Amino acid sequence: MKNILEIKKLSKSYSGNPALTNINLAIKEGEIHGIVGANGSGKSTLMNILFGSPVIQETGGYEGEIFFQGKKINIKSCSEAIRMGIGMVHQEFALIPDMTAGENIKLGRERTYKFTDRLFGRRYSFINKKQDYEDAAKILRKLNMNLDVSIKIMNLSTNIKQFIELAREIGRQDLKLLLLDEPTAVLNKKDGLELINILQEMARGGLSIIFISHRLEEVQQICDRVTVFRDGKLVSQYQKGKFSINNLAGDMIGHLVSKAAAEKREIKGRPIISLKRFHVKMPGEEIKDMDLTVFKGEILGLTSLSGHGKLALGYGFMGLYPVEGEVFYENQKLTKMEAKTNIIKGIYVLPDDRQGLGLLLEHTIEENIIFPGNQIKNMFSRSFGLKILDFIDRKKSLSHVQNLIHDFQIKCTSPKQKVKELSGGNQQKVCIARALTLKPKLLFATEPTRGVDIAAKEKILNMLIEINRTQNTTIIIASSELDELKRICDRIAVMVEGKVFKILSPDSSDLEFGLALSGEEGT
Amino acid sequence: MRIKDGTDGGIINRVNRFVDSEHLVPAVFLVLSFFAWQFSGFSGAFVFNQVLTRFIRDGVLVLSLIIPVVAGMGLNFAITVGAMAIQTALLLVINFQVEGATGILSVIFLGVLLSVALGFAIGHVLNRVKGKEMITTIIIGFLFNSIYQLIFLVGFGTFIPVFNQEIILSRGIGVRNTVDLGMYRNTIDKLWLLKIGAWEFPIFMILVVLFFAAGIYYLLNTRFGHEVKAIGSNNEKAEVSGINVNLIRIKVIILSTVLAAFGQLFYLQNIGMFDVYTAHLNADVISCAALLAGGASIKSAKIRHGILGIFLFHTLFIVSPQAGQNLFNNAALGEYFRSFVAYGTIAFALIINIKNENK
Repeated sequence: MKNILEIKKLSKSYSGNPALTNINLAIKEGEIHGIVGANGSGKSTLMNILFGSPVIQETGGYEGEIFFQGKKINIKSCSEAIRMGIGMVHQEFALIPDMTAGENIKLGRERTYKFTDRLFGRRYSFINKKQDYEDAAKILRKLNMNLDVSIKIMNLSTNIKQFIELAREIGRQDLKLLLLDEPTAVLNKKDGLELINILQEMARGGLSIIFISHRLEEVQQICDRVTVFRDGKLVSQYQKGKFSINNLAGDMIGHLVSKAAAEKREIKGRPIISLKRFHVKMPGEEIKDMDLTVFKGEILGLTSLSGHGKLALGYGFMGLYPVEGEVFYENQKLTKMEAKTNIIKGIYVLPDDRQGLGLLLEHTIEENIIFPGNQIKNMFSRSFGLKILDFIDRKKSLSHVQNLIHDFQIKCTSPKQKVKELSGGNQQKVCIARALTLKPKLLFATEPTRGVDIAAKEKILNMLIEINRTQNTTIIIASSELDELKRICDRIAVMVEGKVFKILSPDSSDLEFGLALSGEEGT
Repeated sequence: MRIKDGTDGGIINRVNRFVDSEHLVPAVFLVLSFFAWQFSGFSGAFVFNQVLTRFIRDGVLVLSLIIPVVAGMGLNFAITVGAMAIQTALLLVINFQVEGATGILSVIFLGVLLSVALGFAIGHVLNRVKGKEMITTIIIGFLFNSIYQLIFLVGFGTFIPVFNQEIILSRGIGVRNTVDLGMYRNTIDKLWLLKIGAWEFPIFMILVVLFFAAGIYYLLNTRFGHEVKAIGSNNEKAEVSGINVNLIRIKVIILSTVLAAFGQLFYLQNIGMFDVYTAHLNADVISCAALLAGGASIKSAKIRHGILGIFLFHTLFIVSPQAGQNLFNNAALGEYFRSFVAYGTIAFALIINIKNENK
């Protein structure tokens, strides 16, 4: 088979820090090529170069040569890449929030009326909205989704956004090379499998796919070849069937990872929070009539298929969506759902949308970590009597932040580095470090390990266990990673259609969980 | 955040939803206009004819603001630059004494040429100040105003040769404060004038304004229009969707400036007198106020906001001085009332609409 893409001696550095060094890589036609690596190993940089992201040109371009279909190319903008037939599904979604699902899927290749095509040219031709929506719905049905395509993107949940982003790329006729950055990270296992089937079918049709994923089982299952990156260098390459997951994991980290696991225990303390007929009106992830009691000091897992409400609970407590029903927290009734009041009361929510809701991207790591602690609880101020004139105690905050950076192994040049320059996993570590700073009594963690490599994942899970054990923080983890929940939770609540369907012990079998997730009683 | 399926009734819910919606500002205007009209003592037909005149006078200027808002660049206060472009063209053509249809056509040709060039320049400037477009366009408007005044106060008669002595100040340098547009006055306004009792409908000009509105609606529903909407929503995401953000932004500003030039042309020919140094000055504020009164915000504007807004805003604009005078028995108060209404609208609409954006 011919090579569709050849990369020779590719190097790239950001202001002196090498991100990629001397990469040689070839992708064949019709191949699914896996790329794995820890956070900050250079995978995203490679994708950005191939897709012509503006950030590459702004930071001085790259060295080395790239050949696409035998021709040497130097991609300067995303529109150039798209014209050549390269498509990309972004880890952090490149969907336009104010446009509808249908408009997003068809963006750039809208159907237009033939008459106005001839009159004004295709660019200024009138769009046939009805037909566009029909096309978009048809593409989504291929992905087994039935969605009203006239809903705006900003009103949809993350899982659905992922499918829409995929639909946008799949809908392209001229697509030759598809770059997938963590396409299954936001999906649960079942949706993930579905997606993999679709990808394999497309590859049989001659499409080349570069597949980046942290789920090594998936990589092992579908990729024809796998390349491992570590610290910006290409470490190893395997053919399908000639490697084990441990090979990949070992190459990625350079050493073996030990999995986080909490010892089993029975928690029957007093309840810290109980929900009665609780509703959260989050479109696509609605919670209806939820009853749940959480005991002080436990780690409760919350899982469901996508769209059944596991994500909405945290958002409800942040005050982002309207809520109804009764909530008793430490024997007091909560009347107002607002982030600030809840933080003062000791409830903190770790959102799954890190970049949108979790972080101040333009600010430094230090500022991000101390921000809520200082603003709401005044933890890092040096007081001169009048509260409003307080200075930030730089010494205190710096030592606090340095400790956390050390404990969490946050990869950064200094505490003064901007958060937007960090990789996804390290950004998540910053989010958790901030949550820890507040010493919450009740912590909601929503998909805490999404889009994070194995080493960081175990680190994050271990940290959660540790705060639970040492600070007696009650933790509610909403996640679709059942395997992780089973390792660290005391109880796991399975949600179906916005209600708690069953509460299972982490020792329950996969079969029991499978039945509960699909709403079957089982025998 | 609005929820699609939150349809449950309940009168309080409905009131809440109304207060949070884009209908609040127009509704307030409707109520204010009604009471001001009652106090003003004007007849309905008079107000209607006046408002319709304003509609054809200011319509295109208001419409020229819509595309930049959709592109996420906020209110384009630099439409005064487009106005100055067409005024420059007008003065030059009057100076060279080109008359009749050739005159009008050369004004349009020159004006469009100038506004494309100036729009291009403004677009480049705005690409360097992303996120701060509104304040920048205000300052650009001021800057061009002083350049414009310099050219016509000092340039005419010194480095620009004078062919038409009528428009020049008696000292031989500089253009007069007021230039008569006698030869152009109301040339197209009275076309197809339909009279029903005391009510007058200048059908042709109404159609012209609606034609521009339809043109903008059309543009926003083309590929180009979708790209404009995309960059209006999120620059970075539009960029990775394969859209050349900077280029689209420049095109948007050129379009807006050219539309403003046309708008000012209709405005001037309707008035018939041309205040060389002041005619363009309030074009931006009045137009922005009208658009906002119709329910637009600095992040979302639709054609219907523009059209509704012109009617609502100008009704209040026309009746409020008289109402002020009748209420407080003070003739001078009327004029203050007008500027209060204009700036008050902008402030009020901005606050209310931004509150809605944050939902």
